[in-house]
Amino acid sequence: MTSPADGRQRWLTLLGRRWVLIVLLVVVWWVLATLLRGIHTLSLSTATDTWFTALLRELTAVIRGNRTESPVFIYLFNPIRVGIEGFIDSIRAVISVPAPGNLIPLMGWLGTLAVIALIVYATSNLRTAALCTALLLGCLVLGMWTYTLDTLAMTLGAVALSLAIGLPLGVWAGLSDRVMAALRPGLDLAQILPTLVYLAPLALVFLIGVASATIATMVYSIPICIRITAHAIRSLRASPLEAATAMGSTRWQLLTKVQLPMARRTIILGINQTTLAALSFVVIAALIGAPGLGKPVVEALIIRDVGDGIVAGIAVVLLAIMLDRATTAAVVHTDEVLDMTEHQRRLRRIGLVVAGLATIAAIIASRYLMWAAVVPERLDIGEQVGRIAGTVVTWITTNLGFATTGLNEFITVTVLNPVEGILANAPWYLTVIMISVLAAIIGGRTAGLVAVCLLTAIVVIGLWNDTMITLAQVLLATVVVMVVGVVLGVLAGRSTRVERALKPLLDAGQTLPAFVYLVPVLALFGPTRFASIVCGVFYAAPVVVRVVADGVRGVPAEMVEAATSAGSTRTQIITKVQLPASRRSLMLGANQGLIFVLAVVVIGGFVGAGGLGYLVIVGQSKPELAGKGLAAGLAIVLLGIVLDRIAQSGGRSRPTGQDRWAPGH
Amino acid sequence: MDIHPLSTRGACRRNARPLAGLPGLALIVLALAACGGGVNEAADTAASPAAEAPAAETETAAPEPTLPDCGDWGIAMHAWVGYTASAQVVAEVAKNVLGCTITQTTLDEAGTTYDAMEAGSVDVIIEDWGGGRWQEWVDRGAIGEAGLNGNVGLIGMYVPQWMCDANPDIADSANLNKYAEQFITPESGGKGAWYEGPPGYTTIGEKMIAANKLNYKVINTGSEAALIDLFTKAAKNETPALGYFYEPQNFLAKVQLCRINFPANDWTDAAEASGLTDYPETPLVKLATTTLLESGSPFATLVQNFSWTNADQNQVALDIESGMSPAEAAQKWIDANKDTVNGWLAGTGASVE
Repeated sequence: MTSPADGRQRWLTLLGRRWVLIVLLVVVWWVLATLLRGIHTLSLSTATDTWFTALLRELTAVIRGNRTESPVFIYLFNPIRVGIEGFIDSIRAVISVPAPGNLIPLMGWLGTLAVIALIVYATSNLRTAALCTALLLGCLVLGMWTYTLDTLAMTLGAVALSLAIGLPLGVWAGLSDRVMAALRPGLDLAQILPTLVYLAPLALVFLIGVASATIATMVYSIPICIRITAHAIRSLRASPLEAATAMGSTRWQLLTKVQLPMARRTIILGINQTTLAALSFVVIAALIGAPGLGKPVVEALIIRDVGDGIVAGIAVVLLAIMLDRATTAAVVHTDEVLDMTEHQRRLRRIGLVVAGLATIAAIIASRYLMWAAVVPERLDIGEQVGRIAGTVVTWITTNLGFATTGLNEFITVTVLNPVEGILANAPWYLTVIMISVLAAIIGGRTAGLVAVCLLTAIVVIGLWNDTMITLAQVLLATVVVMVVGVVLGVLAGRSTRVERALKPLLDAGQTLPAFVYLVPVLALFGPTRFASIVCGVFYAAPVVVRVVADGVRGVPAEMVEAATSAGSTRTQIITKVQLPASRRSLMLGANQGLIFVLAVVVIGGFVGAGGLGYLVIVGQSKPELAGKGLAAGLAIVLLGIVLDRIAQSGGRSRPTGQDRWAPGH
Repeated sequence: MDIHPLSTRGACRRNARPLAGLPGLALIVLALAACGGGVNEAADTAASPAAEAPAAETETAAPEPTLPDCGDWGIAMHAWVGYTASAQVVAEVAKNVLGCTITQTTLDEAGTTYDAMEAGSVDVIIEDWGGGRWQEWVDRGAIGEAGLNGNVGLIGMYVPQWMCDANPDIADSANLNKYAEQFITPESGGKGAWYEGPPGYTTIGEKMIAANKLNYKVINTGSEAALIDLFTKAAKNETPALGYFYEPQNFLAKVQLCRINFPANDWTDAAEASGLTDYPETPLVKLATTTLLESGSPFATLVQNFSWTNADQNQVALDIESGMSPAEAAQKWIDANKDTVNGWLAGTGASVE
């Protein structure tokens, strides 16, 4: 192994030569773009169709017209929709939705709470069960009980279906290279596909409602499940497998008796990640009619009721923590059980019997006692919390508005407008060529080729200008995200105390639906592109902080010690040792930052950011612009692939599902 | 409420010990479900006054015509307060007077809701601005028009009142270019910023700018929240702002805006607008699923008869905005306007007193 100093040197020269080239190119680009400003920008008014969007619009009309007649719908899509709806509604009928004319679902709140606590206890331990109960009680006290259970029902239903598909596929992909190769493009695409993009096409086929929301959630969470399960099977040590094969096990025996039990821990971790991904999506899916906590969150944006939105947002975070801890504890529990003494096992068995009896009592009580059936009104402090939150936000927006407006205008004039000028206000061919050349330099020949092809495709479908407006915001937001991510990530990576202090913030940041902070951001920054950038930063920073912190922590202690004994200062250690040594994590962070930022550009359309996000939104509500909305979704995907190709090149390894979604780890 | 004696308890007891784990628990839950519900049974009898009232009367007075069964129906809830006011009043009358079971579902306007109606998840839109966007769904027989709701919508471009006070001629669209410079922001690329309405609303700003050769650039605000924020700040800080707004909207009672007048309108379908002229006055429309319209339910009659004025709507909307729950605000208005409500109920056999 080369010494850290050598490696660093090589890295710097390599990078240095590249940087000079890149800077030169950007200068040339800027000069040309300024000279050719406003020529061939392909800008298009919102209401105007291109050949492609007109085609898509007609297609949507045909699909809508065929929903009741075409055999594809009658024998395939409609039965799927009805089946999924029935499945989810049967879960909701137990915990959240009373049958017509009834006051409560199958169980009142106390019964539901007891059943959940019992399930958690049975799969992990008493402490986790108590924690989960407390978190659910928090949702109850916030006045969000029914919404919370609707979200829980949707999440659990979607997770069950996702696991039913994802686990077998994951195991298969873990066993067979050919299957993995066949699945990989789909898995890769799913990771960069911004969630809001596939809501519209799904709603077109499966209609607005529970079914579309569930399928959309599955599309989001199944790839994560497949990836982690396959990884679990693949990363098993070879020796036990060889031993089992040598003893004459069949392939089936090998799988069920050796591989699956050994991979159990990682597979449960996969279930954990699948669950959290599903939860985060169920909230967004309120946009296409998913019941639950997403509803008040989305409504809050439209009627500007910040308080209610924040209360619902807190409930989402509580529910996420609960699901995370419950599934994580289940992982730990699988190990603990092995170490238990006979006495402990007996104690646990007695505990389970007692808890089971208590649960039955609670269910009965919740069906016959009013206070246990319907949440008593005086327990509900949601309104007060909402009012306080609303007041705080109002105070902040009125008193900080001055500073934020200044910052907003400064950044917009000095950075955003020039960047957008180069990307969107220059001739399209100049931009295509320059991005492709840069892509080739940074990401290699393939990345350059991908960029040429896909950017040209965007030109052909006719959404070039909007795409570039979006790209300008994505780039700026990613830069900010990286600065924030590296600073906080290094701090957290170097000190466990900082890490512990940041953890709840990161957890909340990753689970809080972006809609919650749209209204305050809007109040602070007005309907501007900058507001959308701020949203992107909020959304993407936590994951980058995590990845960077993880990288810094992974730097071998000897390297840091060596540098310290050689008399390096703290700044030197950070900039010369820890950051270069965690280069892969930094690149992965940049990749994830980009993808996460891109995922919220659609949301930016709600706060005046224009570009592709606005087109997606307007396409969903105006039938005459449906084609443009779908095309904008496609353009986001194409842009995402280009950016991913470029940013991926540095941190060679593909991000796993864990990197994408890791609260609590 | 006390524990109800359970006559069927014995029959429902199962041998499922909790140790049997989750399947056992599921069995218990199912078994309990089969037992019939204490709280729910009580709710059944208490929650349907309409079903009970006629029965009580037949014993004393001459038999009155019993109400036909109203059924389960869904009302789409759009997110502006005015809509909430209208929909909530209809919902309260339907539930409390006609004994209907009403589900209110929050949905985006236009396409989203038409699709939901076609799917059968909601039945009524109480206020639609769409001017015929629903034709495709009508042609397929999914939805039908249920008359006008009495409100008249007027969309327009507005500036804060202080601007009109300072420069009275700004209200004439012909003078807009003279003031364009005042409206420049970092967002608007050297032109005046023209803040356009939210995605689902009828908007023709791009056409108006092009046809009238205005030196303005459309900025799509993306939500009504953004516009309200914009005008609130512009009024308070006396800063310039040109944006889309509409009535009936009770926000106009709180912040004074001044309408920019374009030449009188010559269109009803936004797709055919020349852009030279102003937005039209839009009589707002009620839409319902054909299932509801053909059901003969008294709820269909109520929806078809419902009609009120912009002032009525503003009154309820203002109560909602000042902290009353929509249901309370609606009930307050119903109590104060029984004659109007009874007019809507004509033909159902029910009435409020």
